[in-house]
Amino acid sequence: MEPLSRFFHRRSEKALADAPLQASIARATGKFLGARAEAVAAFPGFEAARDEGSRIKRETLDRLDVHLARFIAEAEKRGAVVHVARDGAEACEIAARVAKEEGVALAVKSKSMLAEEIGLNEALQSAGVDVVEADLGEYLVQLAGEPPSHILAPAVHMARERVARLFEKKLGEPYTDRIPDLIGIARRRLREKFLAAGMGITGANFLCADTGSVVLVTNEGNGRMGTILPRVHLVVAGIEKVIPRLADLPVLLRLLTRSATGQSISSYVSVLTGGRRPEDPEGPERLHVILVDNGRTGILQGKYRDILKCIRCGACLNVCPVYQSVGGHAYGWVYSGPMGSVLTPLFAGLAEGAPLANASTLCGACADVCPVKIPLPELLLELRADEREQGLKDPAEVLGMKGYAALMGRAGILEALERFIGVISQVLFKDGKTPWLPFRFSGWTDRRDFPAPSPQPFRKLWKKQRGIHP
Amino acid sequence: MTPADRKEELIRRIAVALRGRDGANPAPAFKEDREGTSGEADRIARFREMLESEGGNYLAGPSLDPMLPALGEALRLSGVAALFFPPGDDGARLVAETLVPFGPFTLVSLDEVRRPFAPPSAGIQTAEFAIAETGTIVQTGREGKTLLPGLLADVHVALLSPAVFVDRMEECLDALSGDPPRNISFITGPSRTGDIEQTIVIGAHGPKKLIAVLLP
Ligand code: SF4
Repeated sequence: MEPLSRFFHRRSEKALADAPLQASIARATGKFLGARAEAVAAFPGFEAARDEGSRIKRETLDRLDVHLARFIAEAEKRGAVVHVARDGAEACEIAARVAKEEGVALAVKSKSMLAEEIGLNEALQSAGVDVVEADLGEYLVQLAGEPPSHILAPAVHMARERVARLFEKKLGEPYTDRIPDLIGIARRRLREKFLAAGMGITGANFLCADTGSVVLVTNEGNGRMGTILPRVHLVVAGIEKVIPRLADLPVLLRLLTRSATGQSISSYVSVLTGGRRPEDPEGPERLHVILVDNGRTGILQGKYRDILKCIRCGACLNVCPVYQSVGGHAYGWVYSGPMGSVLTPLFAGLAEGAPLANASTLCGACADVCPVKIPLPELLLELRADEREQGLKDPAEVLGMKGYAALMGRAGILEALERFIGVISQVLFKDGKTPWLPFRFSGWTDRRDFPAPSPQPFRKLWKKQRGIHP
Repeated sequence: MTPADRKEELIRRIAVALRGRDGANPAPAFKEDREGTSGEADRIARFREMLESEGGNYLAGPSLDPMLPALGEALRLSGVAALFFPPGDDGARLVAETLVPFGPFTLVSLDEVRRPFAPPSAGIQTAEFAIAETGTIVQTGREGKTLLPGLLADVHVALLSPAVFVDRMEECLDALSGDPPRNISFITGPSRTGDIEQTIVIGAHGPKKLIAVLLP
């Protein structure tokens, strides 16, 4: 998927003007947030679990070489075939080769953000493999030919009538807009695919180093279907998904599912270890795991290591006022919300992703909910600083900021200016509003009311209130 | 580069990335605050509460006799026409065979269930663990066990004996982590999706109903 994050502003404007989209984003984020809040309130150990989860993820990253080597050794010992890929293209090449060697013509795929990141579907399709998305939301967006818009609810932007028309047009199903009937159609259609597919493709929520196990968390059960029925199971996972021990799983699950959907556990959690054994009556003959770097070692090295702790729960998206306003598509790439605003510039480069890092009020709501305590606002600030250092900031903005800093350092001039503005605004702006500001500042007056400057400067009011007389 | 070289190269690259860095952020030590293990009755009660809150059904009774008609009724109301059970699961076979006249249901094999357009079925299986904390059923592929009853059936009937209950997932993983089976499945409630308009619909890909039956 080609990133389009540099067009964030334009894309946001489009999203803001789209009333049905606004309604569906509000409904989804509201539901997720409410469910999360309830689940957290009902679980007194949540804060302690956050400390523990954050520690596990951070310590794993700090010794990722050791843990990843262990994962590879244990998985291979138990019969998995492990591949490593330096970047997305290499991962796609390996996946296509696996499909070819295994003689796979049809694959069913469960939701995986990494697969989106590296463009796995397109690569496999062009290698002649038919890839069907098996997560219902992903299935809908695939039928519609659109990218997903929320990491947990990819089709959050589609109303039932649209789904009904889509099924009518693409599947030849009679029109119905009853949601259970629509789900029933998708279930039936996908069941056929599951039974016919030669390969199941999934991501991984966690990789356990001590047992070489792959952990998958789903509610629909598509992950289970695709990892039990087809002949081959192909996993694509980022190297940061490793956790040291299978025993670390429960605490991370408690955090993940509560933060994501407010459940105390998702409907299905599968722990998959190695290939099929002689006594197994079913299950894939082979388990292939592709470990993908694609820029992750670079992130590991620098000051952004903490973002690799992310367990993709989506809580920071739901709570973010920016995400709540513009939705996932505006971010222009796979990862959205605060997590995406940090990841996109790191993966796709600052020139592409910096608009995301700048589009934040730094309110801190994301860091407050993050189950693994990623300091998201700090990372966003770091990215802005990098943007400045790399000379990517607009020169006019840099100049403006310099002027602002100079002004703030000169109390006399500042005060004189404040008084001057206060006086003229009394004469000019009678209704207490600033009617317009010139270009570059016009964003503050075009779409909202910018208050007129106060007749008395703040510092004077402050002194007065404190009873300090100059 | 051979595949082994590539793996080594990746590990080396990570090691280089980590070198000379600030290393571990000292995070606060985690206080082990495991709730003490509870008694069997507490465990079962908690399991039931959690299972039901996740949309699962629970059935228990002093003996099988009064439970079977109720179970048969529930299956019939769910549109079940066929029953299947894993070969070698004697408890499940007994329950399935006794249930037949209550439908009437037909007994089908695992192969028949795997076919497209299989009749609506109930998969009956003895569960290996039941986790009280989350109301979760655990099935594994241990010793050649199948996972199809909790996968392909329209209704998943999990048979439980008091001995399979544990408080938390940790205990279950402890028991399995030495040599984990190929598949450990934690199943909580029926399959669901909220993908259209965030309206929760039961029965996405997996069973539309989960009935946990506590055998006397
Ligand atoms: S950054 Fe934190 S809150 Fe956001 S998706 Fe990742 S783990 Fe969840």
